[in-house]
Amino acid sequence: MSLRPVYIVEAVRTPQAKAGMDLKDVAAPYLGAYLVRHILDNTDIPNDGVDEVIFGNTGTPAKYPNIGRVIALEAGLHKKTSGYSVHRNCASGLEAVSQAYLKIASGRSDVIVAGGVESMSQMPLIYGKEMTELFVKVMKAKSVGEKLKALSAFRPPFLSPVVAIEQGLTDPFCGLNMGQTAELLARELGISREEQDIYANNSHHKAVAAMEAGRFNDEIVALAIGGKLQKLLSTDVGPRANSTVEGLAKMKPYFEKRSGTVTVGNSCPITDGGSALLFVSEEALKKYNLTPVARMVDYHFHGLEPERMGMGPLHAMDGVLRRTDLTLDKMDLVEINEAFAAQIIAVRKGLTDRSVADKFGIETLWGEIPDEKLNVNGGAIALGHPVGSTGSRLVVTLLHELKRRKAGYGIASLCIGGGQGGACIIENLVK
Amino acid sequence: MAYKRISFEVENKIAYIGFGYNCDKSMTTLDEETLGELRDIIEELHTKQKELSGAIFFTHKDRCFIAGADINLIAAMKTEADGAYGAEQGQSIFNRLEDLKIPTVACIHGVCLGGGTEFSLACKTILMSDDKGTIMGLPEVKLGLIPGFGGTYRMPKKIGLPNALDLILSGKTVNARKGKRLGLAAAVYPKERLKAMAPEHFKGEEKKQSFSESLGNLAADNFLAKKIIFQKAREGVLKMTKGFYQAPLKILDVMEAGMMKGRTSYLASEAEAFGELCVSEQSKNLQHIFFMTEKVKKYSGKKGEGKVPRFERGACLGAGTMGGGIAWLMASNNMAPIMKDLTPAALELGLKQSSSNFMGAVKRNKMTFEEFEKKQRSIACQLDYRGFKKADLLVEAVVENMDIKKKVFAEAENYVREDAVLTSNTSSLSVQEMSTALQRPERFAGLHFFNPVHKMPLVEIITHDKVAPETVEALYNWVLKAKKTPVVVKDGPGFLVNRILMPYMNEAGFLLEEGVAMKDIEDACLNFGMPMGPCRLLDEVGIDVGEKVAKIIYVGLGERAKSSNVSHMLVEKGLLGRKTDKGFYLYDEKGKVTGVNDEAMAILPKPTKKMSETEIQMRIFLPMINEASTVLADGIVTTAEEVDLGLIFGIGFPPFRGGLLRYADTEGLDNLIAALDKFAASVDKDRYGASEFMRKLASEKKKFYEFNV
Repeated sequence: MSLRPVYIVEAVRTPQAKAGMDLKDVAAPYLGAYLVRHILDNTDIPNDGVDEVIFGNTGTPAKYPNIGRVIALEAGLHKKTSGYSVHRNCASGLEAVSQAYLKIASGRSDVIVAGGVESMSQMPLIYGKEMTELFVKVMKAKSVGEKLKALSAFRPPFLSPVVAIEQGLTDPFCGLNMGQTAELLARELGISREEQDIYANNSHHKAVAAMEAGRFNDEIVALAIGGKLQKLLSTDVGPRANSTVEGLAKMKPYFEKRSGTVTVGNSCPITDGGSALLFVSEEALKKYNLTPVARMVDYHFHGLEPERMGMGPLHAMDGVLRRTDLTLDKMDLVEINEAFAAQIIAVRKGLTDRSVADKFGIETLWGEIPDEKLNVNGGAIALGHPVGSTGSRLVVTLLHELKRRKAGYGIASLCIGGGQGGACIIENLVK
Repeated sequence: MAYKRISFEVENKIAYIGFGYNCDKSMTTLDEETLGELRDIIEELHTKQKELSGAIFFTHKDRCFIAGADINLIAAMKTEADGAYGAEQGQSIFNRLEDLKIPTVACIHGVCLGGGTEFSLACKTILMSDDKGTIMGLPEVKLGLIPGFGGTYRMPKKIGLPNALDLILSGKTVNARKGKRLGLAAAVYPKERLKAMAPEHFKGEEKKQSFSESLGNLAADNFLAKKIIFQKAREGVLKMTKGFYQAPLKILDVMEAGMMKGRTSYLASEAEAFGELCVSEQSKNLQHIFFMTEKVKKYSGKKGEGKVPRFERGACLGAGTMGGGIAWLMASNNMAPIMKDLTPAALELGLKQSSSNFMGAVKRNKMTFEEFEKKQRSIACQLDYRGFKKADLLVEAVVENMDIKKKVFAEAENYVREDAVLTSNTSSLSVQEMSTALQRPERFAGLHFFNPVHKMPLVEIITHDKVAPETVEALYNWVLKAKKTPVVVKDGPGFLVNRILMPYMNEAGFLLEEGVAMKDIEDACLNFGMPMGPCRLLDEVGIDVGEKVAKIIYVGLGERAKSSNVSHMLVEKGLLGRKTDKGFYLYDEKGKVTGVNDEAMAILPKPTKKMSETEIQMRIFLPMINEASTVLADGIVTTAEEVDLGLIFGIGFPPFRGGLLRYADTEGLDNLIAALDKFAASVDKDRYGASEFMRKLASEKKKFYEFNV
């Protein structure tokens, strides 16, 4: 089957803020809906001209089981617009982007808005199994006596909640917490604490420099915040101008308290945020007189051992480069999600170190990613990682920087909890 | 027998009686013909009682059960006896309805007000549809009337005295949910199921009372308690109306005196009161306003050949208090507005205004927090023109400066669609001149909202030479859709409302200079029925703003519009009114008056002159009437009605007076001119020189309301 070219016309995101901070009151759909409205407002596409709205989201709020559809409606799109949600953990946003790509490339659709949203602030506390069972029994009870009897089984420890986020960040298959998978890579590949802290520190300074230079201005759309929605947030909350390697060195390892090297400082914080992109076919470009900013070349997802999930990008980039007959040195910019400094350093080793590549079954040594190409405006360690959004957020940021540099290809990749990697390549068309 | 206005069918021993039959109007009223048929139908039910298991009343209409008695009938009543007789006629029909032995069920869907609600109360059971357009109530008090078809008699029996008083004295309406809670409706069903469910209610209601309800009833159901309830209600009414309105007091008299009366004597007193009120000056004035507002609900201005645009999306330039208020209005009307300003701080100001308007509704339970979030979030805040081509209506609310406004329009025109309508929310600048900044002035007009936007119902649509009639009509329709009152005015200094309002504040200034005490001036105006005295109003507007606008109007109109030096003296001392917490009065951080500002009093001349209240009123309202006459002469608006509507909805001119020019007409033009002449000689010939127009009208023995272009 021959595939049609797929164009990106608009790419925007919310400011990102650490969970519990400035965006804590913003329910997940509202992190996406205004972006979609904003995107459509910038085009001549009528509100019934969108074929599909696809959003990635992992902590599906109980109130919004299909967040993609909610976003489509809240954005003022026509009620006939199809909308759905996708979940591929940390790469949910990239999954949405990939589905948009496939649907347009295959000729199924012409106009798709895809992205991701995550309100980690609003992830719930869950009652444990005992308490849930107790509730069920009480609800089933017919008489007051039966209810009392059921209630008598109550014990105070039943009330200790299960934190949904914490559970979500622990791999159900291998039982390791995400941080522990990073520790494993650091141990096995000999990545030092100092290397990680230096990397993390750089991320903060790159992000702060980008903010100060206004390099995020084109991609961020200001969002109303606060209990009464009277304030506007237009910059990321997270990057620290006063970050130092020494300061980071003082932090205690979080996941392996004694011998570990992974700290809260050299990992990404849990974060709230959203991102959205407009994908169209050639026909739609003409029909609505749109100017494409970029072309999406292809994508690839790949699995690996869950306990070494941090190496996902190595497999995913390998896969997408092979599929497209491109090479890493043709990429003008590389965005790899900074889940953990250790993990991103490990990926770089896998690209240059034969033994590491062999260990992960990678044939081609794709070569060094120079610092001046990798996460040039900082990454998730500084900007945060709103899980459902990051996959598409990386593409948004990559696209705007390629455009600014009048560059060519760029690749975005990320590791995925559960042991996967995802990657996609885009080509800038604004030169 | 066949009926024309009401359908009547018997099926399975049930009589189905449908209102709004063969009626092409959207609202059904109890006009003479309908009442006559209703009488016959009820008599027919009496004769057929034995063969019927019940009677069900419903509507054929989608939005209306019965909107009330035909107000034209009431307006036509000439004497108290006429009115009382009319009420008795209705009462006797409803009494016969009440006396039917068979079950009677009113299935209310849509608007059911006044006579409609009184009809329903005479049925044994009321069911309401859950449609959001379904409302019941007794709004007669708003027309200066008492419900005359037994409403004051039956409502307390149905929902208890305290609730009944609340409904009848305020004239407010209730939806199905509230109706059920009050016990007015026995049950609420989806509209499609109303008729089918009605027979289930033939057995009558065994109303289960909760403990607290029965306790409440026990407490309310004795003579002494009722006395106290009436006393409280009377105090409440006096506080709300400042004693200006006679209808609620009359209603209280009838209901209180009727506590121990039987149906016949109670209803006789209700009918008598109705007769008295319906021919009263006040009720006539309020009815006059009702007719005026009904009339403006349809655009009657010049029509164009082209398509009249409809506004789906809005944009607002400038995010200050006004900009935020306009964005709020657009957001409440699902227009997902784009609000643009120069800085994020300015945008936040607009967001704050909109949020506080919405939060007011949330606090009053008129809106859920979720709805607030949806609507508030539908406002896009931007520093650039992205998305402006999606806007159908743009309202500019940047600083009041002609050059800046012209620049803004010249710029904005590059970003909007060709068929978008552009408007300026200017309060004082020439719309004619502003229109020259646009390449396509035909789609431009002034759109003057009053501050605060969410409270003030009036919107002036200001025209200019090149404006297309389609533009004006589109704006008119939109203002109505946004539940505001439009008035189309020609460009001129101060447009309609501010121009006539200016003497209100100017003359107060002169009186202060003459040494009349501020309190005397304010009281005289309040006692006339104005919502605020002139000094308090100036504080509200901003004394500096008032001074600026006064200057513009003076330049435009000449010597008769000159103002005193008082505003200037206060502005020089930085006393700008409420926004600086001090002007004539002092204000706390919430903007509430805490007292008179001694600092301002020290600047003003010592109060040495005692002037009678009537003289102060004449000194202030005569120039307003005079200015209103020049407004008509200049063709700013073309009818006295528009002047009156503008002042009532724009500045809260007392409704019971029916409007400034209606008031003038009742006083008599000859008398007014004589008074003006007197002041022209004794005070100032410019400010009190009666206009040529007014003299001409008087010489032709015409009233303002008889003036036709």
